Amino acid sequence: MLSFTDFWNWISAEETWQARYGLWNLLAEHLTLTFVALFAAGLFAIPVGLAIGHFRKGEFFVIAISSISRAVPTMGLLFALVILLGVEFRSTAVYAALGAIAIPALLAGTYSGLIAIPQTTVDGARAQGLTELQIIWHVEIPLSLASMLGGLRIAFVQVVSTVTLAPLVGLGGLGFGIVQGLALRDFSQITGSALAVVLLTVIGDRILSLAQKANNFSRLKTKKGRR
Amino acid sequence: MDWVFKNLDFLQGLAITHLSISLLPLLVGTLLALGLALLISNRASELLAGFLNGIYAIPSLALFVALPPLIGTSYIGPTNVLIALTIYVLATMFSSVRDAFNQVPAAVLLIANAQGLSKLQTLLHVKLPLAIPGIIAGLRVASASTISMASIGAVVGVKNLGFLFLDGFQRKIPEEIISGILIIFLIAILFDFGLWLLGAILTPWRRKMVSHA
Repeated sequence: MLSFTDFWNWISAEETWQARYGLWNLLAEHLTLTFVALFAAGLFAIPVGLAIGHFRKGEFFVIAISSISRAVPTMGLLFALVILLGVEFRSTAVYAALGAIAIPALLAGTYSGLIAIPQTTVDGARAQGLTELQIIWHVEIPLSLASMLGGLRIAFVQVVSTVTLAPLVGLGGLGFGIVQGLALRDFSQITGSALAVVLLTVIGDRILSLAQKANNFSRLKTKKGRR
Repeated sequence: MDWVFKNLDFLQGLAITHLSISLLPLLVGTLLALGLALLISNRASELLAGFLNGIYAIPSLALFVALPPLIGTSYIGPTNVLIALTIYVLATMFSSVRDAFNQVPAAVLLIANAQGLSKLQTLLHVKLPLAIPGIIAGLRVASASTISMASIGAVVGVKNLGFLFLDGFQRKIPEEIISGILIIFLIAILFDFGLWLLGAILTPWRRKMVSHA
């Protein structure tokens, strides 16, 4: 069992933080895996979501992807891609798995943000002579930003949580301390690493939630009372 | 496919463990969400919803191993997994249940009151039936994610379908991992269909409404 003295010794040791598998390096790996995967997924999901939402074509695609993806175990997807692409390509495989995990939430967030915009708003912009691209850029993206950030928040939670499993397929990240600690029965290392993961995800989630609230334009409407 | 037929007994055992480790949290978590949504005042429930939202962001592996120092359970074994999954179900279901109850029109509750229904009667015969579609919708999301998340329990020694991922990876059998994904997917889809059916059976008036329209 975990003893407080052991834990204190672990957390105050320099190698806990500075070593090759120290918390700073693992945190950097965790963040890199998460952000690169989210960025790559966004490059695909956001334009596709914008196109589907703007032209109202292919809606079934969004619905199918988001309902099917919920039933796919992310852990299995990670393991399957690494073993199918071969262990020598494991970072590519891990990025592919993480990207695939992030796409449904980003796509759904973008799409549902666009379809929530009243048709009159879009028609009004069109009547003022905005081109379709201008409508997307100046009307639809700003108005659906809150929903897009909501999708990003869900994607972040899912990706960051799957990155925790990356050490099981031979990569780093903060889950390393949990997996190694479980193997070595080092309870201080397990608890300390779990705490680091909890802090990272809760802080990330809070930041995205605040960003989502700051961009929620529907608030303006309710504050003024009428439009 | 060959691999599946050669290991049917083994798979059956894993599937049964998997089902029990997902069903119990779904049941307990949903009941807790119902109870809390009914008992807690609006202000407090806003705070609780925010807190549960934060909890939901915690990766499952981290929550599994963060519980032992807090509640004194062993690091390995199903107890932490059951508790953690229950917390996740509660976290997702609490907002769905709250929203489902809030969406019951105030006029309907007023009429129930005017007809002399007691608080309990209003709850059982008016509020709960009208909230069923919302609750079932939340439950469908919660059941799919619980069934898929339960596989991570294999990392802390629960021998469920997630074991196929660890074992297949170590022994380099892609068929084992892919079978694991497919079986979990199938179970999740079956549950989803079952819940949809349950919702349809529990709200027969909705079908009549459609046929009138």
